[in-house]
This record gives sequence, structure tokens and C-alpha cells, in this order.
Amino acid sequence: MKVEEVVLPGVGHKYTITTRSGDKLVIVVHNSGKRELQYFEGGGPQPGDEPTAALDLTDEEAREVGAILAGVLFHPEAVGEVKTRLAKLTIEWIKAEPGDPCVGRTLEDVQREAQRHAPEAHILAILKEGHALIPNPPPDTRIEPGDTLVIAGPREAVDAVRRELARHAHP
Amino acid sequence: MPSAVLDFAFAAALLALGAALVHRWRFPPLPAYLLIGLVVEALEPLPSMGLLLLLFSVGLEFGPDRLRELSGRVVRAGAWDALALPLGTLVGLLLGLDLKAAVMLGGVLYISSSAVIAKLVIDLRRAAEPESEVVLGVLVFEDLVIAVVLALVGSQSGPVALAWSVGLVALYLLLGRFLAPRLVDFMEELSDELMLLLGTAFTVGTAVLFHEVGASEGVGAFLSGVIAAGMGLRERIENLFGPVRDLAVAFFFLTVGAQALGLLAGLEPRAVGLVALALLYKLPLDALAGRAAGLGPRRRLLAAFYLVPRGEFNLVLGALALQQGYPLVSQVAVLLVLVSVPLGAVLIRFGPAWTRGLRLKPKPGAHEGEQRPER
Repeated sequence: MKVEEVVLPGVGHKYTITTRSGDKLVIVVHNSGKRELQYFEGGGPQPGDEPTAALDLTDEEAREVGAILAGVLFHPEAVGEVKTRLAKLTIEWIKAEPGDPCVGRTLEDVQREAQRHAPEAHILAILKEGHALIPNPPPDTRIEPGDTLVIAGPREAVDAVRRELARHAHP
Repeated sequence: MPSAVLDFAFAAALLALGAALVHRWRFPPLPAYLLIGLVVEALEPLPSMGLLLLLFSVGLEFGPDRLRELSGRVVRAGAWDALALPLGTLVGLLLGLDLKAAVMLGGVLYISSSAVIAKLVIDLRRAAEPESEVVLGVLVFEDLVIAVVLALVGSQSGPVALAWSVGLVALYLLLGRFLAPRLVDFMEELSDELMLLLGTAFTVGTAVLFHEVGASEGVGAFLSGVIAAGMGLRERIENLFGPVRDLAVAFFFLTVGAQALGLLAGLEPRAVGLVALALLYKLPLDALAGRAAGLGPRRRLLAAFYLVPRGEFNLVLGALALQQGYPLVSQVAVLLVLVSVPLGAVLIRFGPAWTRGLRLKPKPGAHEGEQRPER
């Protein structure tokens, strides 16, 4: 990423941001507080090129957007009642090692056994090495050594599942 | 109620109407103000105050301290553009004017209007374009040059007045450079109202001081802005004076209209020729300036269009010329503003569309993303 700043006397400041993808974002911060944003796909401005997209923000809007971009306002948890419920829940990433009881079995099989020990725990996803994350994996997915299971539920339930599935990892 | 208040209300309403009308067609309001100035009588002291405040804000924004923030290529462009001054002076000498009048004429032909151009750039949403950066930088350069010219020719005849004029300008520049930065902490404590009142009093007071010693009051107002910028007040005063300045610009154009009517009655044909020359001879110079700044061919032409409007300093020079008995220079100055502002507005508004089909071959050295890599 490259950022260039230029003073525009009588107007404000101009920032030209070239992203890694080669797109260009020009932001003019006016003395009046107005922000003028222009987005040029693939690096403009070219002769006569109109920006791909343009946007004007007031000072207040710009600050809000800036805070969101900087991650200041981002809360991973939802708010209110949901938050307190979430606090008791947990998500665990459990890696299946060679020799674990779960290895070689289908997900359906494993899930049935997990349900017996801890009915509130759920297998959300499987991460197979070299593949993208499989959310809501189909029941016939076979668990192989090195797979990572994403399990959610109350802490005790998740711990119980972990004990059953991956005894070797946590002796 | 004093009749001046009624006149003021009438003028303000007409200005608002003009601004609203042109706004519908996405056209900047300045030429409309100018035309309204032709029909409405100027209401002193508002127009004079307007011009002083305008020069103050130009000093604030385009003061010499900005030079440090400009890149080398913009300074090179400014040097090419500044050739217009000696060339204009030469034209004056060839017409048989004496040296002082010739330098004034050179200044009138040379100086573009920072206030008008900055306003056009904002109104027409051109701030993000590469040529705007070059043009606004060149204006910083022009304003510094013209301040020096005004210090030299702005005084009434006689070595004493000249010494006062040059001395005061040098003093103010030094104050802005060395004393003002020491007052930054003190000024930060002051409230907004106090700042607004102090700023106005300081600007007008400086103008009166300059006038009293026989120097140009316009350059005094400009230098007040330079000092305010030196005190680290640029951002605060921009916010505080922004609306005041916009009002000042509107009334400033009323003065132009009113002055024009008085002056153009005895218009010399030579003045018309000089106005045409002024509009034309800066175009190639500014295109060269654009090239020096690394702009591509199309953007060079646009940069030259941007620098067409003349404004505040033309009026200062025009008033001085009239006062010192050079009616020709004065006529050129005022007529040039009258013609160049609407013309410049049209060129800047429609220039990008007109030149779009223009496929001039870019030189290999030009940057600014002018050449599109074949994809």
C-alpha cells in the first residue's frame, strides 16, 4: 500500500492511496470538513477517466466510517441478552491426531456418540488440511488425522466431547 | 431604518437568487455575482471590507510558508508561469508606458485569482484531479511574486513612500516567519469570537496602516493572513472565516461590477487588445508550466484553462493604477476580471469534456498516470 499526501492550498489535503490490488483511492479532506472520495479501478486517474465510484461524506460521517475502518467500533459479540448467553458458550478447535478414537469414522457416527455424552455440543465445521473450511459438514464426511473440528456449546459439554474425541491430545 | 440596510438586503437577495439560478445548471456562482454587480450599486463599506477579508484569506491559504510544502515540480511550474510578469512588463514598455506603469501592467496580465480558482476547483469537484494540485501550487508562487511587486509599485511616488512600503512588507514577512510561531500557544487559548474580532481588527487595521504610509492596503491585508497562518491559526480561521469569506467574495464581485461601469465608459481600444493578449499569452506559458510539473498533454491544457480567471489582485492593482494616474492599466485590470471570470468558469466547467476526445500523444517522460498501459 502506498499513501501520498499533497497540500491543496485553499482547498484542503489530498491523499492518494494505492492498494495492493492496484486500485486507487483518492481522498480529499476539504477545509470545510467535507470529504470527497474517488475510487479508480486499476490505478487511474487516466486522461478523461471518470472515477469508478465517487462519494461525499460530511465530517461526522467520515469520522464514523474512519472508526469502523480502523476497527474501533467493531464488537465481535452481539449486544444485550444475546451477549450474556454467548458468554457462557464457547467455541473450540479440536485437532484429530492419528490414533484418536474419532479418526476413520464418519461425522454422523462421531456426532451420535458426542450427543450421548454432551447433547448441547455441536460440530459446526471441519477444517481439512489443504482445503477450505467446510461449514455444516455433511454427515458422511470421514474424519482423517490432522482434521480440525470446530465445536460449539457450553464449556462443560465441549470439554466432554474433546475428552471423548481426542483423548491423546489432552491426556 | 437606514436606507443602506435596505440596499444591503436587496443586494444580498439578488446574490442569493443568482447563486440559486446557476446552481440549477451546476455552474459556479461567481460569474453570476459579477453580472449582478453590474446592475446593483456598490454598498460601501461592504465591498471594500469584502476585498480586504478576501485578501486576508488568500494570505492565510496561499502565503509563502506554503512554499515549503510544495514539491519541486510545482515550483518549476511556478517559475515557468512567472515568465508572464516580465513579458507583460515588456509589452507595457513597448506601448510607451513608463517603467512603473509597465510593471503594474505586467502584474495585471500575470496574476491569476487564487480565491476564484480555489472556489471553482471546489464548486466543480476538481480537487482530486492531478492538475488541480499543480495549479493551486502555482498560485502560491504567483501570490508571493505579486506581493513583492505591490511592495515596489504600490507606494505613491517618492523614495520615502517606497522605503516605507518595502520596509513594512519586509517587516510583516519577518513577523510572520519569526515572531508569529512564538505566539501559537497564546493564540490557542483565545475563544472563537475573540479570534474573529481580533482577526478582523488586525486585518483592517493593517490595511489602514499601509494606506496611511502610502503603501498598498491590499498587500497589507494579504500579509495579515500570512501572519495569521504563521501563528498556527490556519485551520481554526478557515473554519471561522470560511462563511465570512464566502460572503466577502460575493460582495467583492459587486465592486468589480460597479467599478467596471465607471471605468469602461472611457474605454480605450488598446485596453481591449491587452485583455485579449492577457487571456491568450498565458495559455502556452501555463501549458509549459504543466509540462514542467510532469502533467500529460491533456492535463497541461486543463491547467492552462484553470489559470485564466483574474480577480482580487487585479482589483488592487487597478485601484492603485487609477490613483497614480494610469487609467489604461486600470481599465485593463477591471475589464480582465469582468471577462476572465465567466470565461474561466466556462473553460474549467466544460474543459474536461471538450478535451476528452483530444488524443494527443503523451511523451514518454510524462507521469501522473496519464498513459494508460494497454490491457
